[in-house]
Amino acid sequence: MDKKVFMLLGFVGISFGLVIADISIPTKILPQTMKLLLFAVAIVFDMIGMSSRFYSYLFSPALKQRKRNIIISDQDAYWLSTSGDSVLRKEGDSFTATVYIKIPLYRSATEMNDDEKLDFTRQMSRLLSISDNPTRYTAQLHMMNKDSYIRILRENISKDEDEEMQLTNSGAPQNKVERIRGRLAMWRRMLDSVTGTNSLELVSYAAVSAKGDKEYEATAIAHQHAREIMSGIASVFGVTPNIITGDDILKFVEPEHLLPYSTISEQMSKTMREQVA
Amino acid sequence: MDQEAIMYLTFCSLTLIIALANLSQIASGVMGYVVLFLVIIAVVFLLIMTFADYVLFPLVTGMFGITFQPARNYRITKGQDVVIKNVGGIYYAIGYATANIFSYVFKAERIQENEEERQMQSPESWERAVMSIPFPFRFHVLSVGRDVQTVRDELEGKRSYQEFQLSQAMKNAGSNEMVITDIQRKISVIQAQMDRISQEEKPVATLMYLETVAVGVSEKAAMDALAAQIKQLQIAMSALDVQVQRIVGRELYTLFKFGFALPTTYDEVSTNFDREG
Repeated sequence: MDKKVFMLLGFVGISFGLVIADISIPTKILPQTMKLLLFAVAIVFDMIGMSSRFYSYLFSPALKQRKRNIIISDQDAYWLSTSGDSVLRKEGDSFTATVYIKIPLYRSATEMNDDEKLDFTRQMSRLLSISDNPTRYTAQLHMMNKDSYIRILRENISKDEDEEMQLTNSGAPQNKVERIRGRLAMWRRMLDSVTGTNSLELVSYAAVSAKGDKEYEATAIAHQHAREIMSGIASVFGVTPNIITGDDILKFVEPEHLLPYSTISEQMSKTMREQVA
Repeated sequence: MDQEAIMYLTFCSLTLIIALANLSQIASGVMGYVVLFLVIIAVVFLLIMTFADYVLFPLVTGMFGITFQPARNYRITKGQDVVIKNVGGIYYAIGYATANIFSYVFKAERIQENEEERQMQSPESWERAVMSIPFPFRFHVLSVGRDVQTVRDELEGKRSYQEFQLSQAMKNAGSNEMVITDIQRKISVIQAQMDRISQEEKPVATLMYLETVAVGVSEKAAMDALAAQIKQLQIAMSALDVQVQRIVGRELYTLFKFGFALPTTYDEVSTNFDREG
């Protein structure tokens, strides 16, 4: 029997027992106030039994920790498989592996005629019935990662600032100092224009999960499901989907990869500077 | 109401029914009224937990300031509507919203009129919506293939129930014409679904939702930005006939987990999302 059903029967059983005791014990033995108290406890157990339908995962941590910030899990939300082609998560004794498949669709409605648009919509409907396994299809709009570009620009700025200071202090010729200042202005303008606008990218991908008692078992089953979905996608759209590997997976699981850290921090400090000024 | 809900409601009501039937043996006089009051509170609680637990849960956590840590570095706020991640002093707020496209929802009535025209317009409407959104988001469609025989049995059950309702309405002389037409319409919708399955169309259950991430220098700033983003998504998606409703409560935790591990069976999806299509 399901663990949840046991929990329900346990709580309702206690509640039921308390009510029966309340009814059976005469007032001579148990005063009315005590009976009322017993009944209130029975009601509380009944309510907990009902809550166990959706919130049983909270009972144990809430009772053990008894504080306002309840820690359901202090483990990482996931980890990458050793092969780097799936995301793993452990729940209870079983492992869940999730494989991400990139769908390279670069068609725009603006370059389609009416029949092509109709076909495309029908292809999207067909896509949903490719697999019997729960499959998630996602269209993701994310900010392009300009972190490395920004880092290079910042390094260049600080290098040129040092050089400018050294030249000024050593009494170097004015034309040399001016050249460095010009280059500095160029880097700063580039940094401004790079961080001034958001470059967004739209990607489509599918994800499928599988459970297993061992990591490799879950990963192997998930890959088997993924292959089935990939052949379906290829036949529906006539494109070649591929399994996403390595750090590219992080784009689909981590919030900071939707909004890259340096890109956003540069933008935020710029906005703050503008507000202060 | 699904079978599980009926089971929980039945078991938990049992205690209350027995208490009500033996009210005089539990308490009398003023105490009796107190017992009756407790029973009423419990009944209201059971009904809320069955039909709208998403109202009660955030109310309780909000009142007591309870937050949850679903995984390392993540925190669900007391309002149960945001997942917060702190990365190097910058706060990322993750929010979810339902996004059921009506014509794809199995429960809803399919729009027959101008269907082809609507299908033709949908790629362009989607592109327009995406182009008007200046921040990162994900549009997820989780599809689950269903067993043909199970779906057929369910539909037959639903049709029989509606036919029974229709015969009752026909027998009743005072029946409103509107009620009869409504039942007939429901029967024709169920019949249309059965016909599609007979034509070898695979029954698929879908769950559609939006995920967006906002960033801020403080938790509040990130949460405010997220609220604004969800409002903007509501406006942008309105052209697609999508009902965007912010997800609050236990479903937020479930969707957060879906980010790393998807469900592997239909039951896992349906028990978590009784409010969905």
